Amino acid sequence: MVDNWPHSSLQRSDGSLTEIDLTPVEPSSTASRNKLRNRLLMGGVLVLLGFVLFQALTSARVFFRNVDEAVAERAEIGDQTFRMQGVVVTEPAENSRGAITFQIAFNDVEANIVHIGEEPSDLFELGMPVVVEGHWEGDVFASTQILVKHSESYVADNEDRPGVGENPTYESESNDGVG
Amino acid sequence: MTTEMSPESVSGPSSTDQSGPESFSTTASKVTTVLGWLSLASIAALLAFGLLISPPEISQGESVRLFYIHVPSAIVCLYIAFSITFVGSVIYLRKQSVFWDLVAGASAEVGVVFLGFTLATGMLWGKPTWGTYWTWDPRLTSTAVSFVLYLGYLAVRRLDMDPVARSKRAAILGIISFANLIIIRYSVAWWRSLHQGTTLDPRDTQLDDSMLVSFFLGLVALSLTFAWLVIHRFRVAWLEHQLEAQQLEVAIAERTASAGPTGLAAGGA
Amino acid sequence: MGWEYVIPGYLIVFGSLATYTITLLRRGRQLAAQLPPEKRRFLD
Repeated sequence: MVDNWPHSSLQRSDGSLTEIDLTPVEPSSTASRNKLRNRLLMGGVLVLLGFVLFQALTSARVFFRNVDEAVAERAEIGDQTFRMQGVVVTEPAENSRGAITFQIAFNDVEANIVHIGEEPSDLFELGMPVVVEGHWEGDVFASTQILVKHSESYVADNEDRPGVGENPTYESESNDGVG
Repeated sequence: MTTEMSPESVSGPSSTDQSGPESFSTTASKVTTVLGWLSLASIAALLAFGLLISPPEISQGESVRLFYIHVPSAIVCLYIAFSITFVGSVIYLRKQSVFWDLVAGASAEVGVVFLGFTLATGMLWGKPTWGTYWTWDPRLTSTAVSFVLYLGYLAVRRLDMDPVARSKRAAILGIISFANLIIIRYSVAWWRSLHQGTTLDPRDTQLDDSMLVSFFLGLVALSLTFAWLVIHRFRVAWLEHQLEAQQLEVAIAERTASAGPTGLAAGGA
Repeated sequence: MGWEYVIPGYLIVFGSLATYTITLLRRGRQLAAQLPPEKRRFLD
C-alpha cells in the first residue's frame, strides 16, 4: 500500500499536484489493479454490512414477549415465530418422542413448552430464566431453540454465600484476603 | 530506570544503522519499554488469577473465566479505543492535523483487534451458558454492526487515493461509527435482550471477591497492552506517513528531471 | 465444565496479541531502516 500510492496520486486528474507532468511511467495496469483493489475493499465491507443489517432487521421482526403477554395475545399471534421469556417452573422431562417438555412462567402466567431441536446448554434446569424461540400450536408452545439467560451474579463454587449454597460449608480458605 | 532488557529486544538489534538511543531504529522508547513490562506482568497476574486462583462459578463452572477477558476487552475498545478515534477524527476535520489523523487510525486498528476479542470470547462464552455461539440479539447485533463499521474505517484508510481525501473520509466514518456505540451501550436497556445487563454496577457489585480481582486484573492488563500497542501503531503509522512523503518527493524529482519542458506542457491530462 | 471454551478463548486473545505485537515491531524496524533518523519519530 505504501509503495503503491504515489503512482496513482501522480495520475490524479484534479490537477492539484500537476505543476509537472505526473503521468505514470509504470504500465497503467498498476493503476487499474489499484482501482480494483479499492473496489474489492469497499465492496467487501459493504457486503458484510448488508448481511449484518439484513440479519438485524429480519431478526428484529422476531418479537420478544414475556409469557403473560404471549398468552394474552395468543389469538393475534397465530402461528408466527417469536421469542418467549420466562422462568422454568417444572422439572424438564423427555417424552417418548425425544422432545423436552417443561413449563415456564412470567408474572404468574404459565405456558407448556415442547422443545424439539438442539440440546440446551448445561445450565438449563428448573428455576433458570430462559428464552424459547418457536410458535404456538394450540395451548402448547413448540420450541425450536432454548437459550438460557445469564444470571447477573457470579458466585464462587466453593464459597458459602447467604442464600445460595444448600449445604453451607464454612471454608477458612476463602479467597477474600487475596489482592 | 535501568531497563536493559526489553520486550522489543526479542527481535534483535537492527543491522547497519547506529543503534544508539536517539537513532529510533525501532518504534520502542523508554516509556513503551516500561509499559511493555507492566503489560506483561499484569497479563501474567491475570492468567494466574483468572485461570488458576479464582474459583469456578456455581452454575456456569469454569466458563466464567471468559468473563475476565470478554468484558475488559469490550470496555477497552468501546470506551477507550473508539473514543480516541472519535476525538482524533473531530480534531482532524477541524485542524487537518496529521498527528490526530494517525492517532485516530492507530487507535481504531487496535480497537478492532480488541473488538474481535470481545466477539470471539463472547461467542465461546455463549455456547456453554446460553446454549448458542451466536444469536441476533440487540446487543450482539449492534456489536457486529460496529465491528463491520470499524473494519470499513480501516478499509478506507487503506484505499489507494489522495491521502488528504482519504483521511477526511476516514474521519467522517470515525465519527459516524461512534454514534452506533451508543446503541450498543443502551441496547440491553432499550430492548429485551438475552444478553445480561451491566454486572459491575458500582453500587451493587455482584461478583465474588477473587473474581472481582481477576476482572480488574483483566482490565488493567488489557488497558496497558492497548496503550503499548497504540503507541507502537502510531509510530509505525508515522513512519508510513514519512515514507509516503519521501517517495512522493523522489517521484516528483525524478519526473521533473526526466520530463523537462514538454512534460510541463502535457501536465494535468 | 467449560475448560474446552476457556482455553481456546485465552489462546485466541493472547496468541493474537503476541502475533500483532511481533508484526508491529518488525514493521516498525523495517520502515525505520528506510528513513533517515531525524524523520523517524514524531516530535513536537
